[in-house]
Amino acid sequence: MTRILKTALALTVGAATGLGLAGSAAAQQKKIVIGVTCDRTGPTQIVGTVLCPAEHDYFDFANANHLLDGYTIDHPEIETGYKVPPAVEAYQRQKQEGAIMMPIYGTPQTHALNERLEADKIVGTTPGFGIAASADGKKYPYLFPIAASYFSQGAAAVKFAKDQLGGSLKGKKIAYIYFDNPAGTEPIPVIKDLAAQEGFELRTFAVPPPGIDLSAQMLDITQRFHPDFVISHLFGSSPAQSIKAFKANGYPLSKVVGLVWASSEADIKAAGGWGVAQGYNTMQFAGAGDDYPVRQSIKAMYKKEGKSLPAGMDTTVYYNRGLFNAAIEVQALSNALKLTNGKPPTGTDVKQGMEQIHGFTLGGLVPPLQITAADHEGGGWVRIFQVKGNGFVPATGWFNAYRDVVWQQVKAAEQTQ
Amino acid sequence: MPEFEWQFTLVLLTNGIMIGLMYALIAIGFVLIYKATDAINFAQGEFVMFAGFICAGAAALAGFPFWLSALLAIAGMIALGFGLERIVLRPLIGRPVIAVVMATIGLAQVLRGGAVLAFGAGTRAIEMPVGGTPLTFGPVMLSQVQLVGAGVSLVFLAAFSWFFLKSRVGVAMRAVADSQQVAMAMGINVRRYFALAWAMAGFVSALGGIVWGAMLGVDNQLAQVGLKVFPVVILGGLDSVLGAVVGGLIIGIVESLAAGYIDPFVGGGTKDFTPYVLMIAVLMVRPEGMFGRRRIERV
Amino acid sequence: MFHREAGVFKTSYAADMALYPLPIAKWTVAAFAGLFIAVVPLAFGEYALSLINLCLIAVVGALGLNILLGYTGQISIGQGAFMSVGAYTAANLIVHLGMPFWITIPAGGLMAALIGLLVGIPSLRIKGIYLAIATLAAQLIIEWTINHVTWISGGVQASIEIPRPSLFGHPITSEAGIYLFLMFFVVLAIVGTLNLVRSRIGRAFIAIRDQDIAAEIIGINIFRYKLYAFAISSFYAGIAGVLESYYLGIANYEQFQLDVSIDYLAMVIIGGLGSILGSIFGAIFVTLLPIVTRWVLDGVGGLFFTEANLDNSVPHLRLVIFGSLIIFFLVVEPDGLARLWRNIRSYFRAWPFSY
Repeated sequence: MTRILKTALALTVGAATGLGLAGSAAAQQKKIVIGVTCDRTGPTQIVGTVLCPAEHDYFDFANANHLLDGYTIDHPEIETGYKVPPAVEAYQRQKQEGAIMMPIYGTPQTHALNERLEADKIVGTTPGFGIAASADGKKYPYLFPIAASYFSQGAAAVKFAKDQLGGSLKGKKIAYIYFDNPAGTEPIPVIKDLAAQEGFELRTFAVPPPGIDLSAQMLDITQRFHPDFVISHLFGSSPAQSIKAFKANGYPLSKVVGLVWASSEADIKAAGGWGVAQGYNTMQFAGAGDDYPVRQSIKAMYKKEGKSLPAGMDTTVYYNRGLFNAAIEVQALSNALKLTNGKPPTGTDVKQGMEQIHGFTLGGLVPPLQITAADHEGGGWVRIFQVKGNGFVPATGWFNAYRDVVWQQVKAAEQTQ
Repeated sequence: MPEFEWQFTLVLLTNGIMIGLMYALIAIGFVLIYKATDAINFAQGEFVMFAGFICAGAAALAGFPFWLSALLAIAGMIALGFGLERIVLRPLIGRPVIAVVMATIGLAQVLRGGAVLAFGAGTRAIEMPVGGTPLTFGPVMLSQVQLVGAGVSLVFLAAFSWFFLKSRVGVAMRAVADSQQVAMAMGINVRRYFALAWAMAGFVSALGGIVWGAMLGVDNQLAQVGLKVFPVVILGGLDSVLGAVVGGLIIGIVESLAAGYIDPFVGGGTKDFTPYVLMIAVLMVRPEGMFGRRRIERV
Repeated sequence: MFHREAGVFKTSYAADMALYPLPIAKWTVAAFAGLFIAVVPLAFGEYALSLINLCLIAVVGALGLNILLGYTGQISIGQGAFMSVGAYTAANLIVHLGMPFWITIPAGGLMAALIGLLVGIPSLRIKGIYLAIATLAAQLIIEWTINHVTWISGGVQASIEIPRPSLFGHPITSEAGIYLFLMFFVVLAIVGTLNLVRSRIGRAFIAIRDQDIAAEIIGINIFRYKLYAFAISSFYAGIAGVLESYYLGIANYEQFQLDVSIDYLAMVIIGGLGSILGSIFGAIFVTLLPIVTRWVLDGVGGLFFTEANLDNSVPHLRLVIFGSLIIFFLVVEPDGLARLWRNIRSYFRAWPFSY
């Protein structure tokens, strides 16, 4: 009995100390708070453990190089395990800490937080996931996809297939294999519209998440449907399995394009390495690879502090996406500070700063985005990188496609929301 | 709409059989624990994941060859089985089923967090010394990794069937499962057999982790294979090793055919829940599963 | 709670079953509850209130599961799915028909109860862990259905945004307002459960839990009562689901997946099976534990980890601590937090003259 009481007492004291310490953090002057949320323990752990450290690295880099005149960025992180109620708790916490901008993590979380962001005037960014319709800044004023939404990704994939198949899709067959959840089904209306417009036959193959086994679907694609091109919107261990299965069934990987979450070094590694995945096309919304000045600067920063490089930096795809997200946010803050003449910006200022981003390329890591008050997606740019040798090689420049069809679907999606 | 083709159906069937035997490999560990200790292990998937982490981690961090890291995984999981039984499960002997269930759910969290703390979060591959190219028999192709998994599964089916029927230890284990009190009265050291059962489950899970890890890659998502175990073991009967294998086969085949012949009509992935529907149908007829032992209930 | 009986003077069963041991207890409980309800929104900030609100929603769901698991002894791993049934029912009523909350909340509960009845049918034949897995099947089938039937889910995104509940034409937007709104239903749920388990139905539930064959022999129609248990439990879950979607402003099936069902299982078991106070403790414990461990680790984690490691290690350490605490409580106090509370209370009841 006494043992239990003692434990309870110890726990209470511990919690109280934690509270006290957490409370005392928000005192200093000239700080801008960006509330980071992340999933490091849940189903998207393989992304979060690389992407979120990259965001912190860029914020540290911005602070060290005084990118924001006279301000430092405070970037506390709260881990949610990809669950929705903890994400709401994290949001309230970050709001209390005074956050004016938040990199959101996860599609269901975006849905849950959207209304609160608007009510509290806090800018949220959702690069590469979230609500595709939020490209419309009129309808979703405080939500910024900043990178290509699933609609834009689907459209770009069809454009890429068209170019690869000689400029016409008439009479061709395209297979779309996807995770059977809202994120996976989202591009289907766009691809269906394009099937009618371009005259190709589309068949969809659903993989129930978490996609333990997709061998039957792969057999269906390679041995029954025999498509001319495959668009793969998988996640987790599924892209690796699909690569192996394409290989085993003798389907050329150069006729496969993976959307942005089926496209990292981790997937190639799990499939058995670069040798296995030769020719596989990956879609990126931030440049892949090591060859960007900002990565070198961050490496230099680590070297100067005498620390070893973060382990996730090798997974350049996810790491660079973290840099992308953080860099756009810092750029928006910098724009906002210009608007306020150095006074502490509010969420509304940051929103306006965000809507002025164009021509910010970060040495090629960021596409030629043009974010406006109407278009929070900035144009829906992607770039295809192909697996060649021991790395990703650009197969196209930055491009976007079928904007009319995409925007038609954005408007249609708004109707049902 | 897709038409029925014999050749393609044959391909789907063989694919289902291979996958089913791989499911059985994981299910056997689950059945072993239930058979010997009456405990439901909700952390079976995490066991498999942890084994995969040890194997892949040893290869990646220490540069061990495959056979050494595989041995390490097996040894590690046996030790883990012993340890868990001692620390977690033994104090719960005689408690209601639901307490044990909850304890294994807690255990699952610990293993998930612990594996990443110890080995890091990224996806790792397990390089098995078998070829990547599948063996071809006419239209049918068999992946070599899956063949290894299926082989191991069948070997264990035979070995455990013999073990429980003929060996002294196996008979003692069955006696313990039947009635702990009577077994104790007959001079059987119940605790020792509990520990042994968990160690054996650790051993089987290690093999499952290595084979599945080689197929899927190792990260925390590997634990999700545990979800596949439930329809398999319930269909076969919780206390039957044969049931685990037959259940695995049926589920594998049903999943494969569902993906080929149901999905195109309903426009969605039905693979995950068709096994469960089948399972409920079977349970309504035979509430203890196909090979499960009927329990006689008395007031 | 705050007074002592001088002995046992009960002379009738009715007196023994009364909710309050003494007449005055009724007034003290009411006074404390009233004080608590009134003071909390004034005393706490918005963030603390948002935590309390999350706990309140969990309390409703946990009470429902406790009726099924703790009082009737039927294991269910489908609580999350029943919540989603309630949430989508209400969301569709709100969006398409503009119904107010006092219709949508019972409607969501009733629809969940109906689905719960269906899911309960296998309990005629299937028992124990087999039944648990059958409810797991229900979880997966309901998820799939919502995801694929667009007239339920409102489109491929499978999420329906809903406005805040409004009372007399004023939307309730502040955390304090939501707190009072939720509290109303929590009090209803607690009082409802307290009375249910004392009634004829509740006694039948307990008889089935303790020994279903014996219950059948003494004339309880166990099939009917098992179905009641499933329906009532799902009714609570449905209401919790509607409340959660009102709170979040959205119905989305991805917020009611298997991990949610397991969380509710944890609440009921850790809190204490067959104890209403236990469900409340359990709901608070499971909701707040990850948050409190985070505060503690944020406070002291710097001592053990370098800064770069901190973000990566702490969440996993939290998972380990969470799991270990579940096991710890099960090993140390198998009857849950409610029993722990009783022990503490009876210790102080005789204090300082305990032996």
